[in-house]
Parts: sequence; structure tokens; C-alpha cells
Amino acid sequence: MSFTLNRSAAGLALLTALLAGCGASTGSSPPGGQSSTPAASTPAATTPAATTPAATPSPTTTKSSGIPQGNGGDQDADNNGGPSDGDGNI
Amino acid sequence: MTARITRRGALALGIALVAAGAIAAVIVAFAVPGGSQFPQLTPRAAPAAWRQVMLPNGTAVLSYPPSLRPVHSDKGAASVARLSPSGTYVVYLNATPRQGDETLRNWATFRVNLLRADHAASAHEVSAAQGVRFRGGSGSCVIDDYVTRIGAHHYEELACLAQGRTGASVVVAAALASQWATAQPMLEQAVAAYALR
Repeated sequence: MSFTLNRSAAGLALLTALLAGCGASTGSSPPGGQSSTPAASTPAATTPAATTPAATPSPTTTKSSGIPQGNGGDQDADNNGGPSDGDGNI
Repeated sequence: MTARITRRGALALGIALVAAGAIAAVIVAFAVPGGSQFPQLTPRAAPAAWRQVMLPNGTAVLSYPPSLRPVHSDKGAASVARLSPSGTYVVYLNATPRQGDETLRNWATFRVNLLRADHAASAHEVSAAQGVRFRGGSGSCVIDDYVTRIGAHHYEELACLAQGRTGASVVVAAALASQWATAQPMLEQAVAAYALR
């Protein structure tokens, strides 16, 4: 009888641990209707580079990019080391 | 005998609860990029002293504090900023009509990939959210940080794709990473005041 009860308690303990783990993995959304979207769960996106024509890098650019850096493209701040604007790289 | 069995059961249950808590903490930590939660954005009109600029296509209105000034931006877009004496962008707000293949579903990945492909030597998602409420619409947002290829400036930004009744647009609120903690409340306020038509 002692063996049976102990085994039941151990089983209950294991089940509790597993349920708690599963519950936590689906309950990480912040309040207010805003759902956190971890990178791993974000749908795969088409990268801008695949949808835009390749551009010739400027002399100051170290990698190929959609819009030439070094005052290239639209001479916007983000082509000169400034913050990126909201254009879609077209 | 019964009391002994009960004590053992309680001990096992206690161990299980501690283990469950540890497992839950680990899962939550790995479920959120960078371990950060996306901040709560509540749509709200900007303070009376703030200024406003409407997108030329009339689909959205960007509000900004008097400490920022209009700066050059793409045709059809609106940008305001605070620059350092040397001309470095310290704080930056931009609104641009949706132009590319970005969607509300792919926004976070799209934005970080765009940064990597275009202006940034590196870019990392910090946190993201979908179903964010805006004045006159809803959208998807991402907080990320990146280092520009030119000048190696380290920026942190809150960037959202917002869908209104008449069109979709992107609002970007960025600051030098060194200034992010100070600027973030104002930048979040500007995004929360972003009005869609």
C-alpha cells in the first residue's frame, strides 16, 4: 500500500511539472490585446533583397545593399549613417 | 504509517511545484527574444504643445514634441529629428506610406531583414507584437537595434506598420542606443499618438 501511494504521488508530481511547463509556453502574451511574437514563431518573410534589384555598392559600402550608402539612392539620412526610415527599400 | 505516507506525498508535490516553476521560468525566458516584453502602447492624443505633420497622401498624422525639427525625408514621407552638434541623428521620427512587401504578419522579420540588407551592418530583434492598437487602426510593431554600416552608429528603434481605413504606413521612432532609455518614453508617446485616417 505504501509503495502504491508513493508511486501515485510521484506520478502526480511529474504530471504537474509537465502541465506547468506546457502552460507557460502558451501564456507569454502581454496584456491589452498585444501578442508577443518571438522571432521563432514569426512567419517567414520575403527578404527585401530578394524582391528588389541588386544595386551597385558605393565606394564606402562594404556589403551589397538595396540602396547605395554614402549619400546614394535618395540621399536620405539612412544612406549616410543615420537612422533607417520606413521605406520598403524600393 | 498513514502520516508518513502523507508527508512523503507532500514532499513529492512540493518538489514538483518547484520544478514546475523552474521549467516555466526557462520556457518564458526563451520564448521572448532578448527576454524582453513588448511595451504596452495605448493610443492617445499627443500633448497640446506637440506639433503635427500629415503624410502627403493624407493617410496618417505624425505628432512630435517641439524639441524635434523637420528634416529631409523621402518624397511622400515625413521626418523630424534632433541632431547632435556634429550632425548625428540623436532622436528620429519618420512616417512613410507602405511601399514594399511588408505585411502585418511578417512585419518584425521584414523590418530586421530590411535593415540587414540595406543600412545596417547588424540588426537584432528585441521584441515584437501584433494587434497593436493605433488611433484609427491597428498594426504590428517591432523593437530592434542595429549598427549602421556608415559611421557605425548604434540605434535602437520602435518601428510599426499600421493599417488605417484609407491606407497603411510605417512609423519609425529611433534614437541612438546610448540615448534610448531617455528617449523611449517620448518615442512611445509619439507612436501611441500616431493617427491613421
